[in-house]
Amino acid sequence: MWMLCRCPPWIRNSLLLGLVLIVMLALIGWDRLLHDHGPSEFGNPDDRFKYGSIGAEHDAGIPYWIFYVLPRVFPEKLPKPGIGYASFGMVWEEGRELPMGFTKRRIGFDRVGNNCATCHVASYRKQADETPTLVLTGPNHTLDLEAFFLFLIDCAKDPRFNADTLMTEIDLAANLDFIDRLIYRYLIIPLTRKKLLEREAQFAWIYRHDFPEWGRGRDDAMNLPKYFLINWPMDNTFGPTDFASIWNLKKYQAGTRLNFSGDTHDVYSVVIDSTLGVMGAEPKDKTEFQGHIDWLVNYLSNKPVPKYPFAIDVVAAARGKSVFTAHCAGCHASARTGTVMPLAEIGTDRGRMDTWGKQEAIAGNKAVSDLGIERKGLVEAPLTGYLVQFLDGIWLRAPYLHNGSVPTLADLLKPPAQRPQVFWRGYDVYDPQQIGFVTQGDEAERAGTRFDTRLRGNGNQGHDFGTVLSEADKSVLLAYLKTL
Amino acid sequence: MNMRDSGCRTCRFVLWSSLILLLLISIAAAIRFLPDRAVTYDDPVEHFKYGSTGGERNMGFPFWLFQVLPEVCPDLLPGKGYQSLGFIFEPGRDLPVGMSKRHHLGIDRVFLNCAVCHAATVRTSANAKPMLVVGMPANQLDLMRFQKFVQACVNDRRFTPSQVVPRIAEKAGGLSLLDRWVIYPLGIHLMRDGVAGLLGRMRFIHMQDEWGPGRVDTFNSAKAIFGTAFEQLPKEELIGVSDFPAIWNQAKKQGMQLHWDGNNSRVEERNLSAAFGTGATPKLIDHAAIARIEAWIGSAKPPAFERFYSIDRALAERGAPIYAQHCAACHGRNGSDFSGEYVGKVTPIAVIGTDRGRLDSYTAQLAQNQGMLYSADPERRFRHFRKTWGYANAPLDGLWLRAPYLHNGSVPSLWDLLQPTAQRPVKFYRGNEVYDPKRMGFVADQPNSEGRALFAFDTRIAGNGNAGHEGPGYGTDLAEADKRALLEYLKTF
Repeated sequence: MWMLCRCPPWIRNSLLLGLVLIVMLALIGWDRLLHDHGPSEFGNPDDRFKYGSIGAEHDAGIPYWIFYVLPRVFPEKLPKPGIGYASFGMVWEEGRELPMGFTKRRIGFDRVGNNCATCHVASYRKQADETPTLVLTGPNHTLDLEAFFLFLIDCAKDPRFNADTLMTEIDLAANLDFIDRLIYRYLIIPLTRKKLLEREAQFAWIYRHDFPEWGRGRDDAMNLPKYFLINWPMDNTFGPTDFASIWNLKKYQAGTRLNFSGDTHDVYSVVIDSTLGVMGAEPKDKTEFQGHIDWLVNYLSNKPVPKYPFAIDVVAAARGKSVFTAHCAGCHASARTGTVMPLAEIGTDRGRMDTWGKQEAIAGNKAVSDLGIERKGLVEAPLTGYLVQFLDGIWLRAPYLHNGSVPTLADLLKPPAQRPQVFWRGYDVYDPQQIGFVTQGDEAERAGTRFDTRLRGNGNQGHDFGTVLSEADKSVLLAYLKTL
Repeated sequence: MNMRDSGCRTCRFVLWSSLILLLLISIAAAIRFLPDRAVTYDDPVEHFKYGSTGGERNMGFPFWLFQVLPEVCPDLLPGKGYQSLGFIFEPGRDLPVGMSKRHHLGIDRVFLNCAVCHAATVRTSANAKPMLVVGMPANQLDLMRFQKFVQACVNDRRFTPSQVVPRIAEKAGGLSLLDRWVIYPLGIHLMRDGVAGLLGRMRFIHMQDEWGPGRVDTFNSAKAIFGTAFEQLPKEELIGVSDFPAIWNQAKKQGMQLHWDGNNSRVEERNLSAAFGTGATPKLIDHAAIARIEAWIGSAKPPAFERFYSIDRALAERGAPIYAQHCAACHGRNGSDFSGEYVGKVTPIAVIGTDRGRLDSYTAQLAQNQGMLYSADPERRFRHFRKTWGYANAPLDGLWLRAPYLHNGSVPSLWDLLQPTAQRPVKFYRGNEVYDPKRMGFVADQPNSEGRALFAFDTRIAGNGNAGHEGPGYGTDLAEADKRALLEYLKTF
C-alpha cells in the first residue's frame, strides 16, 4: 500500500478506477454467466415432474437460444418427417413452450436441461383423429433419444455452427441486450460447440455400423453410465432396452431388485443414479439435489397405475384370471416377482445383460460415493439373467420384453418363430385387439423407426411361457391382462 | 523555435479540422441511417390499409426497388404493373392497399400489412365503379404469383445496379451520389439476399399447384418459420391452400375456434400469428400498431347487401325459419347475433365432408412448435394452438362478400353451395370483381374481366375439392322455393 501512496495522484486514481472497473466487470460476468436464479416453482406435483428443474442445466444444459435455433438452422438433420424438436417424438403438450421433460432455468443465461419426464411419459391415442392422452411416469415409446443426441453433435460438427450463422437466426427471435449478445457470440456459442463435440468420443459406440439404432422408445441404459459415469473404454457390448414405466414404485419391497437385469438394490438408488445420469455431472447444490430425490421417490412410489382406457369384457377377464393363476402368477405374482430369472430359463436376448457386470458396479458405486452421495447402489455381482416383471399397467408398456422386440401382448403369447420379424415402433395409436400399439401400416411407418428383430440386441426369442395355450385361453388371458 | 511553433500549429489545425469533419460526417450519417419511423395515419381505416406492423425492418423492400421491379421484369408479370397480380391502387397513391412504408436504415422500405389479404374491390354491376371494401377477403390478389414474381425478378440477370439504378434515378427525379453509388447498389445486393432467405424457406410453394387469387397456404407458411424441410413432409401435408377470411366483428369471435380448422381460440394469437405473414417477427413487431388494428377490426362491420341491392322482404321472411331450422345452430342466430350451440366449434371432418387438404396441412407437430415461437415475449407466447380433426363453424357476418365458399373457395356462389356436389360447378373463374346478387357470389362463368384474364379454378385438383357441407341439415336437399327463400334471407346478413 505504501508504494501506492507515494505514486503521483493520477496513477493512484487510474489504478482505483481500474479496480472499480474490474469489480464491475466481474459482477456483470457473474450475473450473466453464473448467477443461478433457481428452479421454477410449480403449483402441483405433476407439473413439477413434467417441467421442474433437477439441476441438469448446470452441466448438461444447452443455452436456450442455441437450443431454440438449432432445428431452424439444421432442419435437414432432423429425423423425418418433422418440424423442430417434435420430430424426435418428444411428448409435447400443445401450448407449452418446451417438450415435456425439458426444463428452463436461468444460470447466468437461460439454459435448457432435462428431467425424468423426458423418457418417462407415455402418449397414446384411442384413434388416429384425437389428441393424445399423456400418462406421466409411463414409458416414452415415441422418443428417439439417440437421434436427439446425434442431432446435437451433428449440428456442432457442421461448419455453419458458428456465431455468425447462429446469431443471425437468434436475432430474428430473441431480444438479447448488448452484453448478452457479446457473451453469446464470443463465449456461449464457441463453448457449446466445444462441449457438444467432446461428447462425440464418449458416444463412439452409437456411431458403430455393426450396432443397429436404438430407435424410438429405447436407450442403451447401462452403456450410458459405462461411458459417461465410470468412463470405461468402449467394449463390444450393446443392449438397448425400453424406457421403463416408473409408476407405483412402492411395489419394490425388500428382497426385490430393479432394472431389467436386476442391477440395482432399491428404488432410492435407481432414482439417484438415473438423476445423476440426466445431470451428467456432480450436483452443484447437494441440499437441492437431496430434496429433489426425496420428492421424486415419494412421488413415484405413490403414482397410481393407469387404467386401461377401452371397455373390458369382464366375463372373459374373470375366466382369464384362472388362466393367469395357473400359468403366469408363479412368476409374475409371487415371491419371484422382482427377482432375477436366469438367462437359461427366460431365454431372451442377452445383449442387455452383457453390457454391465460386477466390476462396472463396483466402479459405479465408487463414482457415486466419491460425490459424497450415500445409497445402497448397484449390485456388485455378475449379472445372470433378467428381472421378473411386476405387470402393473402392462397394457401401456408395449412393445414387450426388455428390448421391446415383441410389439403386442398377443404376439408375446405366440411362439418366437411366429412373432413379427420386422415392425415399426413409435406410433402412438393403440390397438386394443392385440394389446399394444399399431406397428404396421403407412402411419406407423411414417411416425416410427423400423425395428428388425434379426439385428444385434433386438432378438425376440425367449419368454416362451404361455405360447402353447389354446386360442381360447389366450383370448381370456389377454382380457385379464387389461385389468392389471 | 518559430518553426516548431508554426509546425505545431499546422498539425493542431489538421488534427482539429479532421476531428470536426469526422464529427460532422457522423452526425450526417446518424441523421440519415438511424431514424426508424413508420408512416402513420390517424384514421384507423387508413392505418389498416397503409400502416405498419413493424415487418418492414426485417423484410422491407427498398421503396424504389419495389417501384421499379415491374419495369425491370415486365415479362414476368401477367399484365401491366402490380395491378395485374390483383394489387389495388387507390387514386393518388404510390403504394397498393396493404403495403406500408417505414424509413429504416437510411431508406424508405415497404412491405405487406394486414390489408393486402383482407381488402378487395367490388363492382355491384358490370358498369359500376369498383368500390374498396376493407375487411373482406382479397379476392383478386394472387399472392403466390407475387411471391414467384419477386423471386424470379431479383434473381434475374436484369436485377443489377447498372440496370436498376438508372430507372430509380429517373423515377425518383434524381439520386444523390451516395444513393447512386452506395445505397442502392448495396440495397440490390441485400434484397437479393433477403428474398433468397425468405422465399427459400417458403419453397413449398414450388411443390404446389397454383393457388389462384384470394387464397393462401397459411400453415405451411407457418412451418417455413421453423426452416421446415418440406421435401421430407408427407405429400398430403402440402395441400393447405384456403381462402383469405373476412375479419369483421372480431371482438364477438373471441373464444370461438378460429381459423378454418379452428386451431386457435384467441383472436390476439390469431392476429399475432397472421402478422408473421407481414414480416413482423417477435422482435420487430410493432405492438402498438397491431393494437390499433385489433381495436378497429374488433368492431368493424361489413357493408350491408341492401345498400346496393334490394331484398324481397316477404321472401326473406319465409327464409328465416328455414335458416333457423337448418343453419342457426352452427352459424348463429343471424348475421350479427352469433349465438348458437355449435357456433365457433369444430365439426369433425367425417361429418362436414369437405376437402381435407387444409385440415391435414395443420399438424400436431406444428401446434407443438408454435408454443415455443414467441418465447422471447412470455406474455404473448402462443398457448392456444391445437391440432383439430375437422372444420370450424363460422358466423356468417357479411356473408354475401365472402364468396367463393367453403374454406378452400371451391364453390363460387351461395346458390351453388345449396346444391348437391354433383351439381356444383366443376370448373369456374375466380377473381372477378363483378357481383351477381341473384346467385350471391362473384361472376364465375367469364374467363376475362375488363381485359384481364381470370383464374380458372379446377375443383378436381388436390385440395380444391368442392364436396361436403351437403345433405340433410346442410340445405342441399331443400325444395327449390325454400332455397330461394333461404338465399333471400341470407342477403340480410
